[in-house]
Amino acid sequence: MSNNKKECIAMLLAGGQGTRLGVLTTDVAKPAVPFGAKYRIIDFTLSNCVNSGIDTVGVLTQYRPFELHQYIGNGQPWDLDRLNGGVYVLPPFMRAKSGEWYKGTANAICQNIDFIDNYDPEYVVILSGDHIYKMDYAKMVEAHKAHNAQCTIAVRKVPMTEAHRFGIMNMKPDGTIYEFEEKPKQPKSNNASMGIYVFTWKTLRKYLIDDEADPNSENDFGKNIIPNMLKDGNMMYGYDFEGYWKDVGTISSLWEANMDILHETEGLNLEDESWKIYARNQAEPPQFVGESGKIVDSLVSEGTIIEGTCRNSIISHSCKIGKGANVEGSIIMPGAVIEDGADVRYSIVGWNAVIKKGAKVGETLPPSNPGEWQIAVVGPAVTIKENGVVAKGEMIG
Amino acid sequence: MKNKTMGILFASNSGCQLNDLTIHRTASSLPFAGRYRLIDFILSDMVGAGVTNIGIVTQSNYNSLMDHLRNGRDWDLNRKSGGISIYPPFVLNASHDVYRGKIEALKTVRGFMMEAKEDYVLLSNTNIAINIDFDEVEKSHLEKKADITMLTYDTEQVNAVREVITSNKDGRVIDMRAPIAADVGKKNVNLQIYFIKKDLLISLIDEAYAHGFLDFEKDIIQPKLNNLVVNNFVVKDYVAVIDRIATYFSHSMEVLDPKVRDELFYKNCTILTKVKDSVPTKYLENAKVKNSIIADGCVIDGTVENSILFRSVKVQKGAVIRNSIVMENNIIMENSTLDYAITDKDVIIQANRHLSGYDTYPMVVVKGKII
Repeated sequence: MSNNKKECIAMLLAGGQGTRLGVLTTDVAKPAVPFGAKYRIIDFTLSNCVNSGIDTVGVLTQYRPFELHQYIGNGQPWDLDRLNGGVYVLPPFMRAKSGEWYKGTANAICQNIDFIDNYDPEYVVILSGDHIYKMDYAKMVEAHKAHNAQCTIAVRKVPMTEAHRFGIMNMKPDGTIYEFEEKPKQPKSNNASMGIYVFTWKTLRKYLIDDEADPNSENDFGKNIIPNMLKDGNMMYGYDFEGYWKDVGTISSLWEANMDILHETEGLNLEDESWKIYARNQAEPPQFVGESGKIVDSLVSEGTIIEGTCRNSIISHSCKIGKGANVEGSIIMPGAVIEDGADVRYSIVGWNAVIKKGAKVGETLPPSNPGEWQIAVVGPAVTIKENGVVAKGEMIG
Repeated sequence: MKNKTMGILFASNSGCQLNDLTIHRTASSLPFAGRYRLIDFILSDMVGAGVTNIGIVTQSNYNSLMDHLRNGRDWDLNRKSGGISIYPPFVLNASHDVYRGKIEALKTVRGFMMEAKEDYVLLSNTNIAINIDFDEVEKSHLEKKADITMLTYDTEQVNAVREVITSNKDGRVIDMRAPIAADVGKKNVNLQIYFIKKDLLISLIDEAYAHGFLDFEKDIIQPKLNNLVVNNFVVKDYVAVIDRIATYFSHSMEVLDPKVRDELFYKNCTILTKVKDSVPTKYLENAKVKNSIIADGCVIDGTVENSILFRSVKVQKGAVIRNSIVMENNIIMENSTLDYAITDKDVIIQANRHLSGYDTYPMVVVKGKII
């Protein structure tokens, strides 16, 4: 059991239900939801870990974990099948005398203290499995070390007018955090926490155990652990992150993040060879565009057959777009079929859904104000009948 | 077939004249259908039939093949028991040269065959795109109580390296010969894929080698047609034998046909290949793509018609690609045109260049060239 030591390991919180994604997360956890034509949301965080040189990742699952467990498998697609370390799926488990669900983010980590201790790490990176971004955690750990900090929290600037929706870190000019406010009515600054933490393990371990003993605690990093550590005067730093980052917790943010891939100016560049995003591969033949196919400003993946028109859309692997079908401003998830003459606009079509001939889904005309997209959602494996209509903003599943 | 049959694949260029396309590789690692190498098809067919102990005998230029196969993981062949074994050529004591022909090649892997726990061997060349159910081959072999089952197909594409087969009404091969001038129209031709009991194969090889024979077909099978029951298994699936640039081009273009794609990719088993983690393909504002196969990782802002684009090809604004095969990592710059061209990997066609061949004689641009 010795010599497993790792300087730094990552714990990835992937247990949330993601209720705001509605029918998309009825049967799968949010991190397993498809993204960007061939990925799942969790691919970004897992790839970040590998690209940052972190080769030991615990993935904490709880809600509808089957799909996620199957997807992660032995971690090979992310190069996380290692002799020492690699990726581990960590669902809640029974103990000799008890056993319970993960009650909160901190409790989930606390229940896995033995797993972490096994690697005897100096630092633990805590991550969320439902964010789309590319980040070098190694640099953040370096900053943590340089500051001799107990906790480093990644922060990004948000517009002052929206700061009240976030956990706000109030920092001194040198980056020291002196105050944390969860969704403040009168924000003092606009440094929003990204839910990405680096902790010195010895310190975190102690706080997790103390927090567990407090019956009034919600066992949450943001609500309990961070405030307690601040109160005790620990060295805590904010780590500025300026790249692309999006929490894809809502239908509109999921749609926007997908669309951001199409518009490089938004800063989500998947093509960077030095920071590849890995995904489990589907072994599908290349895509085929038929005689009547027309595709502009779109992203299309393998195994897909396109006979219709696609504009400003994400067409995932193994889809079929029939003759005369029109897909605009939409996300078509893996295996979905849009039959001949169907019209899909400003919508998300779930995996293996079928939009029958002549059906109309979503906005018929673009809204006059582009900020007011009302995305229609067709749930996974749902069939919309011939000439059926799904209104804008409607969710079927 | 599971656990009873081992596979031996020949990754040599013998019988192939692919010229510029095989300067840097063997026919087995020739890119095909947008994201595959030719060997993927026969390898996936074997894996699909539960053949999991596969030896690949290479001869020359096998770097690209080794790079493609690695440890066999992408075909689920990274096994503790069996899996993939690559046999680079080595000098035989007697001949002071690398092997000449299949008999010597099989002699070099005699030890591998002896040690294997399987009783049957499936032998195949690797320049064939096919999606076949090998279990049917085994079934036919046992039903006909055959010594050797030979896979054949009916084709007009007859050439000197593949024998024309005559069989009787029971499907037993009674004659095999080189094609002659009078051979017009469809003929039954040897695919050079064989199913045979391992012990028999080893004894045939030992005997032939001792006599200094080289040619598996002419020196072993043909003289023994009277003594051994050679069962003719006529393949009805789609078959593409790639041995000339013209056949490479015409068979590649056939894959644009949905019926051929269904046969080749979905009929019996999944065709597996090396995973490269390419990003999905991006179609930009000026993209006009019709009747084409496009692999992942491309960025298209030009016109593509009746063509095959491999991974990570960039087609810039105003560029027009018609009736062409464009391999991995090409950049086709602004206002250039390609018609009936095959551009190998890493080719750059600079702006305003116009390349054109003819359908029976496509223009080939060698790997890495800048035009």
